[in-house]
Amino acid sequence: MKFSTPMPGRRAVLTSFAAATVVALVGCSTQTGQSAAKGEIGGKITVWTWNAPGSGLKAAIPAFQKLHPGVEVDVQDVGNPAIWEKITTGMAAGGSGLADILNIGIDYMGNYSEKFPKQLVDLRDLGADKLATQFPAGAWKSGQGPKGQVFGVPYEVNAAGFFFRQDLFKEAGIDYSGLKTWDELLAAGTTLKEKTGASLFSMDKAGTVGDSAGLFELLMGLQGAFYFNAAGDITLNGPEAVQSLEIIKKANDLGLVEDVPGSWENLLVTLRGERKVATTSSGGWLAGVIEEEAPDMAGKWSVSLPPAVKTGGLTGAVNGGTYLSIPSSSKNQATAYAFIDFALGTLEGQKLVYDGGGMFPGFKPMLDSDGFVAPNAFFGGEKVNQIFIDELNQDTPAVNYTSDYARALKAYVDVQTRVVLKGADPKTELDEAAKQVAQQTGRKLATN
Amino acid sequence: MNTLVQSSTPATAEKPVAPRRRRSSVGYPRITPYLFLMPMILLFVGFKLYPYISAFWLSLTKNVGGEVEFAGLENYTRLIADPLFYKALANTGIILLVQVPIMLVLAIVLAVAFNSVLLKIRSFWRTAYFVPIVMGLVAYGILFRALFNTNEGFVNYLISFIGLSPIPWLGDPLWAKVSIVIAMTWHYTGQNAIIYLAQMQSIGGELYEAAHVDGASAWQRFWHVTLPGLRPAIVLTVILSTIGTLQLFDEPYVLTNGGPDNATLTVGMYLYQNGFKFFDFGYASAIGYALTIIIGVISLIQLRLFKEKS
Repeated sequence: MKFSTPMPGRRAVLTSFAAATVVALVGCSTQTGQSAAKGEIGGKITVWTWNAPGSGLKAAIPAFQKLHPGVEVDVQDVGNPAIWEKITTGMAAGGSGLADILNIGIDYMGNYSEKFPKQLVDLRDLGADKLATQFPAGAWKSGQGPKGQVFGVPYEVNAAGFFFRQDLFKEAGIDYSGLKTWDELLAAGTTLKEKTGASLFSMDKAGTVGDSAGLFELLMGLQGAFYFNAAGDITLNGPEAVQSLEIIKKANDLGLVEDVPGSWENLLVTLRGERKVATTSSGGWLAGVIEEEAPDMAGKWSVSLPPAVKTGGLTGAVNGGTYLSIPSSSKNQATAYAFIDFALGTLEGQKLVYDGGGMFPGFKPMLDSDGFVAPNAFFGGEKVNQIFIDELNQDTPAVNYTSDYARALKAYVDVQTRVVLKGADPKTELDEAAKQVAQQTGRKLATN
Repeated sequence: MNTLVQSSTPATAEKPVAPRRRRSSVGYPRITPYLFLMPMILLFVGFKLYPYISAFWLSLTKNVGGEVEFAGLENYTRLIADPLFYKALANTGIILLVQVPIMLVLAIVLAVAFNSVLLKIRSFWRTAYFVPIVMGLVAYGILFRALFNTNEGFVNYLISFIGLSPIPWLGDPLWAKVSIVIAMTWHYTGQNAIIYLAQMQSIGGELYEAAHVDGASAWQRFWHVTLPGLRPAIVLTVILSTIGTLQLFDEPYVLTNGGPDNATLTVGMYLYQNGFKFFDFGYASAIGYALTIIIGVISLIQLRLFKEKS
């Protein structure tokens, strides 16, 4: 009954066949930017980034379009951390569906460049080697591949921002500027707790939301160490690591660490002063966030160089950064690079990006430019940017994230949870974790 | 008689028509049925078979300096020596052994209540308990995170009324497991209750009447009539829940991220971490295949057990 004549039947079969094929293929087909003729600047490019860095890049578009009329730049706020999974799946799929410009975190750079070396364009081919001397050597190096390829141009170069609540320290009668080492800071923290009830630090002790290793990485950085050394060997159980975790354990045992799940909302609660936590350490970018999100806290937050772990030690550390990279799958690489070159490689572009998003730049002419280190009224007249520049000018070693940073980070967070929640011994636990990372990655333990 | 004849006439009249119809289908090429199946076959090959084969191949490879290299069984031997994999298996096992029985017993109780004539606005209750299953992963995560928040959560707020100190629901290894079990039970009990309810409709009323006449109490009627009648549904739900729990990913992903200290790391979470956090796709695929084998073996054992009993 259904098919009285053969023809409609066949047609129906063909139609459903075609429909199925379309359904099957739509999932795979992708379209990145409209391609311009090779080497020519034109057409449309897309950029994957997230909120604040996105605002920065958007601010540079009008001026870029004046130089290159008719070029369209679509800056997409993909969200962080969603962007990492999106880039990972795109790269695992041979570059399918990726944007023309990717904003990549320094902690992911090693992973992408080691695991997918063919998926990122060596920007030297597009002229990036001209920019090398314009950026701090360490930041430039972390964006390079093992053979000197340039996989990313530094967008943000972050020094550790050590923010503290002036009002709370004053209330407790403590002269903050007199605190030079972490021992002194912890001692002051005890007084602070007694006098004001405020905790010195906040931390996601269970590590179930954020990675909660910020404090540890800062302490490691202040000793010139990281999870891996320059050779890529594991230093997760080195003396610096043990020392860092001992400091955290001591602070925790003294009751100075408030347990706060590591979400953005929770950070904002702290920044707005709705939770009594006296210090927050993060990248220098947090300065802009505090100004914007906690306007009522003007004059209450301030920022300083982090205290040294040992008297006379480093009082500066690098706290991550991001890069702009071009995937090999981009059909409009010339235009993509032209945009990166304008936004990050010229003073005009850098100023627009900085005003738009407030990300701390690495471009030296920008750091030296007029007004960049002007006193900041919000932070009590402190020259905020000068502090970060001073940190970056110290002899901080280039941080070697390697392709196994994520594994080391997870192993560490598990250790920290055992130490702060169950009172486990730092040295024993770090030894165990270092062995585990070695088993998983085939890396050697560094000989101390 | 008359009506009978009449009603049978159309059937007999149609009989000679039927073969003619079949004959007319001879005009179609032999390939026709396969063309009809084509959309399904294409989708199956594209989205099921290809990933299966591709993942198996991946599980035999590793990434060395950006090049995919054949590694033989290396990923599998590494898996056998990996303490975190065993930790994940043990966590999954504990959650399975605790959560599935609790959930299924609750579901039977709910199904009996849904079926009871004493219950007013029955369809409302049935819907209300079924709704969690359609709730999206993210909304579900936000809801339970808010409920289980140690300092500002609603659950701890309620607990404070009976004089208990706040429980670190998501921050303590033991309580995190408990939270996962509670969230899963909330999510899936209604669905199982509906399956039981459907099965209950097939238990004949005469059985209950006979039991009643024989003087069986309500409890005896439940034990000797309802439960045996539910048997097929119980077999189904036990196997489905076991498979579902072994693949557990959603709840730890949205609530605890596998922590604290791997207390809620499940095999699914570990697979995800290796693939998408550590970019170790070969190893992640090996975990996937190991899980497939484990699920296959356990399901076979369960089917065998249930068969022997009946």
